Amino acid sequence: MSNTSVRRRRIRWGRVVAYVLLLLGAVVVIYPFFYILMNSFKPGPEILHNPTRLPSHWVTTGYRLIWSQLNLPRLFANSLFLAISITVLNVVLDGFAAYALAKIPFPGREPLFAIMLGTMMIPSILFLIPTYVFLYRLGWVPGFKALIIPGAVSVYSIFLLRQFIRQIPTELVEAARLDGASELGIFLRIILPMSRPALGTVAILTFMGSWNDFFGPLLYLNKPELWTVQLGLYQFQTTVPGENAEQIWAAIAVITAPLVLLFFLLQDQFMAAFANVRFK
Amino acid sequence: MTARALIKQMTRYRWGYAFVAPWVLLYLAFGIYPLFLSFYLTFFNYNFINPADQAFVGLGNWVAGLGDPLFWHSMFNILYNQVIFIGLTLVIGLGIALLLQAITQFGRLFRTIYFIPTVVSIVVVMLIGNYLVAPGGPLQGYLLQLGLIGKPIFWKSELWLSMPVLALINTWKWFGIETVILLAGLLAIDPQLHEAAAIDGANAWQRFWKITVPMLNPQIFFILVMNGINGLQMFVEVYMNFDLYGGIYNQALTPVLYIYAQAFDKSNMGYASTLGLILAVMIAIITAAQFRFGQRDVE
Repeated sequence: MSNTSVRRRRIRWGRVVAYVLLLLGAVVVIYPFFYILMNSFKPGPEILHNPTRLPSHWVTTGYRLIWSQLNLPRLFANSLFLAISITVLNVVLDGFAAYALAKIPFPGREPLFAIMLGTMMIPSILFLIPTYVFLYRLGWVPGFKALIIPGAVSVYSIFLLRQFIRQIPTELVEAARLDGASELGIFLRIILPMSRPALGTVAILTFMGSWNDFFGPLLYLNKPELWTVQLGLYQFQTTVPGENAEQIWAAIAVITAPLVLLFFLLQDQFMAAFANVRFK
Repeated sequence: MTARALIKQMTRYRWGYAFVAPWVLLYLAFGIYPLFLSFYLTFFNYNFINPADQAFVGLGNWVAGLGDPLFWHSMFNILYNQVIFIGLTLVIGLGIALLLQAITQFGRLFRTIYFIPTVVSIVVVMLIGNYLVAPGGPLQGYLLQLGLIGKPIFWKSELWLSMPVLALINTWKWFGIETVILLAGLLAIDPQLHEAAAIDGANAWQRFWKITVPMLNPQIFFILVMNGINGLQMFVEVYMNFDLYGGIYNQALTPVLYIYAQAFDKSNMGYASTLGLILAVMIAIITAAQFRFGQRDVE
């Protein structure tokens, strides 16, 4: 009797400790975001001398400065255009390829899939220089094409989608074929609706990858009219301490907010996307 | 299968070819062709400014690359960084996953919070991290107050501190993913295993090492392989915080930064290509070793 009550109390204490530690972790994660927001509303001198204190009075100087120094609508339009084109192309083209690899037994399918698995392991660094040389010779640099066309398919996404589409019963596909449905019809009416979670995963990972990409735009969009939000933000990185202090926090806030908001709206899909990413 | 039957099969499933065609064509153009081009470039001195000056150098680039002390220094730097990064994220990620498993309420809220840094771009993370850990920044301010450090530390010009600080900032960004992956693994472990072991007299510590860790092998393996492939190609973190050669001691020079410097600073495309191939082979070897030693229990 007394034994069980002691045990129960001990478990509760363990939980309290767990909550305290988790809360501490949450503070460590959230504090930098709080720091960004707080400093983005501070007058310049206070950012330098009292970075950790709340603003003595709230100002929007930083936001007004970035509005005049950066072409924000342009940066956002460029980033959105890039991310949306790449995402749509990947969902459609990767979906096509994954469906064929999973459900259409065309001769040569198995060797094709084996080659694909082999190339999945090649580190992307190998392609960096030759692809740049190739695209440069084609005259695509600088330009969006250099990122969109080579980025229109992803072996990794095809693999992910294929694993998912394989679980759809083959009888369903066969029955539709017997009924005279075209392969395109089967893809649009059966495969697409049934693989929505996997397509969502691919869409989220692709969109985020493109929106947050820095290296690609650095190489291929090296012209102010083509800059993405990440390249715009990079302009405020400086070696002089305190320079750009007002702009930097406002710029970070403006550029980070949309994605964090999107994450809160679709948090289950986001986490599933990352947790699902696993070798077979 | 006879040729006729094969053609019949191919005609019957022609849509299969149509569906894979866009991928295959794009892959031939932007995957296979550059691969050959890369190999070809390694035998030349090639630069953009004077493409006509292209000169055949035979194995010169390979000999220079394999004997380039800066390149091997950069390999050491990234391994130093990754050992610290992987150690920190695994311990913190697993610790938090265990805590999340132990609580009954707000688990979802915590997971969401820990995951936020994952969706933030590396540029943003480095800008914030830069301010927070700077000499005179809040983190060093607290450490000074607590007396843990005597004077402000200029970590970007410290030989041994640059890489650990970057690893620390990256840990903040990435531990949330590992928490989600490891928690999924923890929840998949049959609780009866723990109960049976407890009845047999195993304490929590023994159960952790004999049940939890081995059962999480697939997740830990996945994390190691992904880090091996991605982490070894670190670029933005060092590009943003250091010069193109990784600081005064080259202490933050990573292989990819060095390749970038060779290609776009020295305009040495052939040499950069060679270094890219050498790095890719190194990553392949490390990944293969992980598969060899790590995949015993993966399904």
